[in-house]
Amino acid sequence: MFKFIHAADIHLDSPLLKLDAYEGAPAAEIRGATRRAFENLVRTAIEEAVAFVVIAGDLFDGDWKDYNTGLYLVSQVSKLREAGIPVVGVAGNHDAASTITRSLRMPENVHFFPSDRPDTLRLERLGVVLHGRSFGTPAVKTDLAQSYPSAAAGCFNVGVLHTCATGREGHEPYAPCSLETLRAKGYDYWALGHVHRREVLLDDPPVVFAGNTQGRHARETGAKGCYLVTVDDAGRPTLNFKALDVVRWEAATVDASGAENAYDLIDRFREALLSYLERAPDLLTVLRVTVAGETSAHDEILSDPERWMHEIRSATVDEAGERAWIEKVVFRTRPPAGARKPEGAVGELLALIDEFSAAPDVLSGLSSELADLAKKLPREFKEAPEAWRLDDPNRLKELLAEAKPMLMRRLLQDRRNP
Amino acid sequence: MKILSLDLIAFGPFTKTAIDFSAGSEGLHMIYGANEAGKSSALRALRQLLYGIPERSTDGFVHPFSKMRVGGRLRSANGEVLEILRRKGRTRTLRAADDQTAIADSTLEAVLNGVDAGFFAAMFGIGYEDLVAGGREIVRGGGELGRLIFAAGSGLADLGTVRDGLQAEADALFRPAGQKQKINDAIGRLKQLRSGLKDAQLSGSEWARHDQALRAALQAKGGVEAKLAEAQRSLSRLQRFAEAVPVIADRRETLSVLKSLSDAVLLPVGFGERRIDALTRLRVAQNEQGLARASIAAIKKTLSELDDPSVLLRHADPIETLYQELGSQRKAAKDRIALESRRNMLRTEARQVLRSLRQDMALEDADTLRIKKPEAVRIQELGAEYERVVTRIESIREKIPEQEQAVASVDARLEDLPRPQPVDDLRRWLAEAGEVLPLEKQLASLHPQVRNLLQVCTQSKAHLGLNAASLSDDSRLAAPSIETVRVFEDRWDSLERRLASLKEDVRKAETDLSETERRLDESRLAQDVPAEADLATAREIRNRGWRLIRRTLHGETLDGVEVDEFSASFPGAGSLAEAFEASLRGADETADRLRREAERVAVKARLLSDRAAFHARLVKLGDEVAAAQSDKEAMRAEWVGIWQSLSITPRTPREMRQWLSDFNVLVDRAGDVWKREAEAAELTRAIDACRVALRRCLQKLSIPVGNEDALSALVQHARRVIENEDGLRRQAEGLSRERERLVGEVGAAKARLKILEEDQCRWQRQWAEAVRPLGLGAGTRPAEANAVMEELKSFFDKLREAEVLRQRVAGIDRDAEAFSSSVAALTCAVAPDLAGRPVEEAAAELQRRLTAAREVLSKRQALQQQFNQEQTKLRTADGISAEIESLLGVMCAEARCKRAEDLPEAERRSFQRRQLEEQLGRDEKRLILLCGGSALEGFINEASAVDPDGIGSDIERLKEEIGGLTAEKSLLDQTIGSARTELGRMDGGDEAARIAVEIQSILGGIERDVEHYARLRIAGRVLTLAMERFREKSQGPILRKASELFNRITCGSFEGLRAEQGPDGHPVLVGVRRQGKEAVAVEGMSDGTADQLFLSLRLAGLDHYLDANEPMPFIVDDILIKFDNARAAAALQALAELSGRTQVIVFTHHRHLAELAARDLPGSVLIEHHLN
Repeated sequence: MFKFIHAADIHLDSPLLKLDAYEGAPAAEIRGATRRAFENLVRTAIEEAVAFVVIAGDLFDGDWKDYNTGLYLVSQVSKLREAGIPVVGVAGNHDAASTITRSLRMPENVHFFPSDRPDTLRLERLGVVLHGRSFGTPAVKTDLAQSYPSAAAGCFNVGVLHTCATGREGHEPYAPCSLETLRAKGYDYWALGHVHRREVLLDDPPVVFAGNTQGRHARETGAKGCYLVTVDDAGRPTLNFKALDVVRWEAATVDASGAENAYDLIDRFREALLSYLERAPDLLTVLRVTVAGETSAHDEILSDPERWMHEIRSATVDEAGERAWIEKVVFRTRPPAGARKPEGAVGELLALIDEFSAAPDVLSGLSSELADLAKKLPREFKEAPEAWRLDDPNRLKELLAEAKPMLMRRLLQDRRNP
Repeated sequence: MKILSLDLIAFGPFTKTAIDFSAGSEGLHMIYGANEAGKSSALRALRQLLYGIPERSTDGFVHPFSKMRVGGRLRSANGEVLEILRRKGRTRTLRAADDQTAIADSTLEAVLNGVDAGFFAAMFGIGYEDLVAGGREIVRGGGELGRLIFAAGSGLADLGTVRDGLQAEADALFRPAGQKQKINDAIGRLKQLRSGLKDAQLSGSEWARHDQALRAALQAKGGVEAKLAEAQRSLSRLQRFAEAVPVIADRRETLSVLKSLSDAVLLPVGFGERRIDALTRLRVAQNEQGLARASIAAIKKTLSELDDPSVLLRHADPIETLYQELGSQRKAAKDRIALESRRNMLRTEARQVLRSLRQDMALEDADTLRIKKPEAVRIQELGAEYERVVTRIESIREKIPEQEQAVASVDARLEDLPRPQPVDDLRRWLAEAGEVLPLEKQLASLHPQVRNLLQVCTQSKAHLGLNAASLSDDSRLAAPSIETVRVFEDRWDSLERRLASLKEDVRKAETDLSETERRLDESRLAQDVPAEADLATAREIRNRGWRLIRRTLHGETLDGVEVDEFSASFPGAGSLAEAFEASLRGADETADRLRREAERVAVKARLLSDRAAFHARLVKLGDEVAAAQSDKEAMRAEWVGIWQSLSITPRTPREMRQWLSDFNVLVDRAGDVWKREAEAAELTRAIDACRVALRRCLQKLSIPVGNEDALSALVQHARRVIENEDGLRRQAEGLSRERERLVGEVGAAKARLKILEEDQCRWQRQWAEAVRPLGLGAGTRPAEANAVMEELKSFFDKLREAEVLRQRVAGIDRDAEAFSSSVAALTCAVAPDLAGRPVEEAAAELQRRLTAAREVLSKRQALQQQFNQEQTKLRTADGISAEIESLLGVMCAEARCKRAEDLPEAERRSFQRRQLEEQLGRDEKRLILLCGGSALEGFINEASAVDPDGIGSDIERLKEEIGGLTAEKSLLDQTIGSARTELGRMDGGDEAARIAVEIQSILGGIERDVEHYARLRIAGRVLTLAMERFREKSQGPILRKASELFNRITCGSFEGLRAEQGPDGHPVLVGVRRQGKEAVAVEGMSDGTADQLFLSLRLAGLDHYLDANEPMPFIVDDILIKFDNARAAAALQALAELSGRTQVIVFTHHRHLAELAARDLPGSVLIEHHLN
C-alpha cells in the first residue's frame, strides 16, 4: 500500500482579486494566500508520508514575473526532498508562458516531463509508472493524450495531463481530449489539471481534476485543495479530498422575500453569515453577498445601496471579526408587485425610465454620460474577470434600475416626515 | 379622496380633539390657531394619519409614544368611507375606530389611490418654506422652462438642488482632468503601485548573474587556500630547525658529565630528610625512658601511707537513708503543733452553732440532726411553689370585678340603640334602577343631538334649495342616481369641450381669413401682380392681332370694325401693325413679369386659394356650432327633466353631483333623527317605571320625596336610607358579640380561682410533712426553713474537718517512733563509740564519717591509675629506640655505607647525578617537539646539516609569500560575501505579491465607485430628459393656467406669462406687461413676485394633475404671510376656486388672513375651524 497526492493549478503568488479593503476588514489575512495553501500541501505530504506528489500543471501565473516566487517554490519543494518525497509534474499553459520557469533550477527530487514528446518515469521501488507531457507553448490546441504510451504491465500507471478535457466553461480550450482516449490507455489513475473546479470525470479508472489549491476570486467558491490517493496492495486507488485553502470564497444568497424593512435584511444576512462561518471555522471566509427576492425594503435599500453595503460589512465585522470579508454586495431585489405609481411629472419620469429599460438602443445612448470615464479606466479594470464595459446595454439597464430608487429618494423620500 | 374628520385623540398637545372636515362640496377649510395652539402638530397629525408616525416623533411630549393616537374618516373617490386610527409603531399601526381591529395598509392605499408619502408631501402640500424655496429656485434657474413646468407638475420646488446634488456627487467621484476625485485618485495610486510592482519583481537573469559570481569566487578561493597552506608548512619547518640548533649542543655537553657519575647510587627523593628525622627521634625516646622510671618509685611510697575505709563504706546506704529522714522528722514535729491548734478551734465553733440550734444537745449527740439530700430538695421545691400559687390567686381575685363592670357597660349601650326597619323592597328596586340609570344620561345627550341634527337638516334643505316639506326615505328614490349624473356630467363636459374647441376653431379660421385678406391687400397695394390669366388674356389679344395680320397677308380685306375693335385696345396705335406690335410687346412683357415675379405670383395664387378655403371652413364650422348648440339645448332639457320630481332647477352636472352627495347625506341624517327620537321615547318609558316604584318604597318608609324628582335623585335617597339601616344593624351585632365575649371571660376567671385555692391547701399539707425533720412547725415560712438548713450544713462541715486533723497528728507520732529505733541499731553496728548520744546527733555524726571514708577511697584509686600510666610510657620508649636503630641499619645498606656517619656523602653524589639526567630529559623533550613527528635522531642529523647562516633569509621570503596569498583570499571573501548578500535579498520574499494584492484592492474600490458614478450620471441624465419630455407634453395647459393665475395673484401687475427663447437656445419663462410689449425675466422679479410666480405654477400644475387623476386634499401651511392684503385675497380666491375640484385645507396662525378669507369668500365655500 502507498499514498500519493494529486494537486494542480497552484498559481503561486496570484493575488486574490478585487478585494476592496474597508474599515475592519482583515487585510493582513488575504496576503500570501496561495503560498500558505502550498505550504499546507507540503505539510500534508510529509504528515501523510506520501510516496510522491503529482502536480498537473500551472505552478505559476503566466504573466507573473517575480523570480522570488520561483525561489520560494524551491524552498518548499526542498522540504519534500528532505522527507524523501519526489515531485512529478507537467508544465501547464501558464507555466509555459511564465518567465520564471525558464531559469529556475529545481532540486533533484523534482521531475518535470518534457514538452516535445510524452515521457515515462519509473518509481521501481513502488512499482509505479508515471506518464506525462508538458506544454511547450502557452496555447496547445492539440490532443496531447493521444501520444501518451500504453500502460506498462504489472505496474500502477499514472497519467499526468494539463487539459480542458472535453471543454469547461471559463477555461481556455487547451489540449482537449475525450474520456475514451484516456480510458483506452489502460492507466490506473489520470491526474488532470487546468480546470479550477475539482471534478471526478470517471470513477474507474479515476479521471480527476484536482481543482486549484486556493480560490482566487468570487467564482472560485468552496473548499480548494488536493486529492490524497491511497493505493491498496491490489492496486486499487481510493480518493480522499484534502482542503488546503486558507481563504474560502463563498457566494452567499440572502432571501429578501417578505422582509419588511432593510434592518430585517441585515438580520437575515447575519444568520446566513453564521452558517458560512460554521462551514469553515478556522479559515477566513470571503463572501459575495447577493440579496434577492420581492420585498417592500427594495426602495429603501436601492435608494442608498452604498449605505446598506456598509451596514452588511459592519455587521460582518461585528459578528465575525477577522474571520470574514465581504467582497461585494449585489442587490437583486424587486419591489412588491402591484404598487401603484404616482402620476403627473413624477409619473412621467418613471414612465421614461421604464421606456429606457425596454429599449437597448436608447439605453446605449446613456453611455455617452460615461464616455470620459471609460477612456480613463485602467486596463486591469477592463481585463479583470467579470469585467464590464460602460456601454454594455445589459449593465446599463441594471444600473438604471438601481438609479431609479436612488433618484426617487432624492426627489420624494426625504420629504416624508417634515 | 376627501378627509371627513381628523381626530386628535392623543397627539402633540391634543387630547380628544376632533376637526370636522365633512362640510362643503370639497371645501376650503381654514384652520386658524394662535401661536402655540398646536397648528403644526395638527398639520403633522394630518399627514401622519395617512402615512404613519415617524420613529423619532416630536409629538410625544404629552402622551407617551405607546398612547399616541390620531384618527380620522376618509371618503374615497367612489364614495366609500374608511374610518381609521393610527398608532405609533413599526408594524401594523393602522386600526379600526375600536383601536383593536387591525386594518391592512392596502385598504388605506386603495383610498389614497397610490399616492405615497413622498409624493403626497410634494404634490399636495405647500408651506411657507416651500414657497420661498420655490421662488428662489425660479430665480436661480433663470426661468428654465423645463424645470419650472416639471416642478409645477410634481410639486418639487428643489429640483435644481437635486440635479446639482447628483452632479456634485458624481464630480466628487470622477472628473476627466481631475486628480483628487476618488476614482482619479485611485487610478493615480494604481499607476504608482504598478511601478512599485515592477521594482519589487526580481528577474531570473539577475539571480543567475549573482549565483554565477558566487560560484566562481568560491572556486578561486579554494586554489588560493591550497597555496597558502604549502607556504605556511615550509615556513614552519625552517623555524623549527632554527630553534633546535642550540638545544642539540647543550645535550651533547650534559651526556659527557653524566658519564663520570655512572657509579653514584641514585637515592630516592627525601632520603636525607628521613635520615635526619630518625636520628632526632632516637634522642627523644632515650629521654622518656629516664623520666618514667623516677615517677614509678615516688607513687609506690605514697600508697603505703594511706588508711582502710571499708567498714563504713559497706553501711553507706542505711547511713544515708537515715540522714535524709532526719529532715522530714524535724518538719513533721513542727507541723504537728499547728494541726493540733486548728482542730481545737473548729470544735469550739461547732459547739457554738449547735448551741444556737439546740441548747440542750451535746456535740457527740448531734448526729441525729443530719437530714437526707432528697428531704432538703423537697423543702426547696415546695418553697418555690408557694410563691407561684399565692401570686396567681391574688391576681385573679383583682381581675374578676373589672370584667363584671365591663359587661354592665355593654348592656347599657345595647339598650340605647334604635330599632331597625325593613328595607328589602327598596333594595330590590334600587338594583333595578342601577341598570336604568345610564339610560337617563343617554336620554339627556340624545335630546340635543336630535335638536342639532334637525337644525342641520333644516339648514341643509335650505342650502340644497329643497322646500320645507318633510323628507322620507323615498326622497332618495326620487333623486337621480349618481351614475346618471356622471353620465350627464361627461356629456356636458364633452359638449362644452366640443363647443369651446369649435369656437376656438372659428376664431382661428376668422383670424386666418382676415390675415389672408390683409396680405392680399398688401400685395395688391404694392403692385398688382400679373396672374396666369393676365398672360392668357394678353396672348389671346396678340393672337387675335396675328390672325388679322395673317388674313391681310393672305390678301383678305379686313372688316374695319374688327380692326378698330382690336386697335382700340392699344390707344396710340395708328395702324393694325402698330397695334399688333403693341399686343406682341404686351404679351411678352406679361410673360416676362410672370417669370420675373413668379414667387409673388405663387404667393398671390396661394393666398387666393387660402381665402376660398377659409370661407368654406367658416361655413362648415358655423354649421357644426349650430349642431352642437342644439345638442346642448336638448341635453339641458333632458337634464332639467330628470330633476322635476324633486322640484329642483338643476345647476351643472358637476355641481349637481356634489348636490346629490350632500342630498344623500341629508337623507341619511333625517333617518338618523327618526331613529334617535324613537330611541328617546323608549328610554323615557323605562325610566318612569323605575321612578314610580322607588318613590312608593321610600314613602312607605316615611321618607319625604317629590313627585317630579329625577331617577338619579331617588336613587340617591334610596341609597342613603339603605346605608343608614345597614349601619344600625352592623352596630347592634358588634355590641352583642362584645357582651358575649366579656361574660365568657368572667366565668373562666372564677373557675380558675377555685382550682388555685385547692392547689394552696394541698401545698400546705405537703409543707408540714417536709419541715418536720428540721424540728419546725407547719406555720414555718419557706425562708425560715431554708435558714435552718444552711446552719445545719455549716455545723456538720466543721465537725468533719476537725476529724481529719486528728488523724494527721496520730500519723506524725507513729513516724517519730520508727526513726529512733533505726538509728540505735545502726550505731551499734558501725560506731559503738556513739551509743547513748541523742538520736539526731548520732545520725549526723554517722553521715560525716561516711563522707571522710569516701574521700580516702578516691585518693587511692587516683594514685593507682598514675602508676599504670608511667609503666606504659616506659614500655613505649623502649620500643621506639629499638625500631630507629634498626631503620638506620637499613638506610646504610641502601646507600652502600658501613656506618650512619657516611650517609651524607652518598646523598650529595646522588643529587648531582639526578640533576644532570633531568637536564638531558628537558633537552630531548624540546627537540621532540621541534621534530614535528619524525624520528629524533633523524631530525638531529637533518638540523645539523642545515646552514645556520642561510636559514633567516629563507624564513623572510616565505613570510612575504604568505602575506600576498592572504590578501588575495580576503578579496575573494568580499566577493563571496556580496554575492551571498544579493542572493540573500532574493529570498523568495512576497513583496511583489503583496503589491499585486494591493492593486486588486484598489480595483475593487474602483469598481464600486464606477458603479456609483454611473448610477449618479444616469439618474441626472434621466431627470433632465424627463423634465424636457414633461415640458413638451404639458407646457400648453400648465402655462395657460399659470399665466391666468399669475395675472390674478399679482392683481394685474403682470398680464401673464410667456415662453421665450433663452440666451442659450433653451426656452425660458418670462412675465408679460404692457399689452405683451414688455417681457420681464425672472431675475428681474422681486422676491415676492417670484414667490407668487411659484404659487401660480404650483396651482396650475395641480389643476393639470386633477384633469387626469382623482382628487387628493391639498394642504396649505401659511403661505400667504408675506403677501399684501390685495394679493393674499387674490391667492385665497384662487385656492377657493381650486376647492371646487379638490378639498383644500389651509393652516394659518394669522388672524388677518382668516378675516380676509371670511370677508371675501362665500360661506358655502369657506369652512372655518379654530384650534384653542
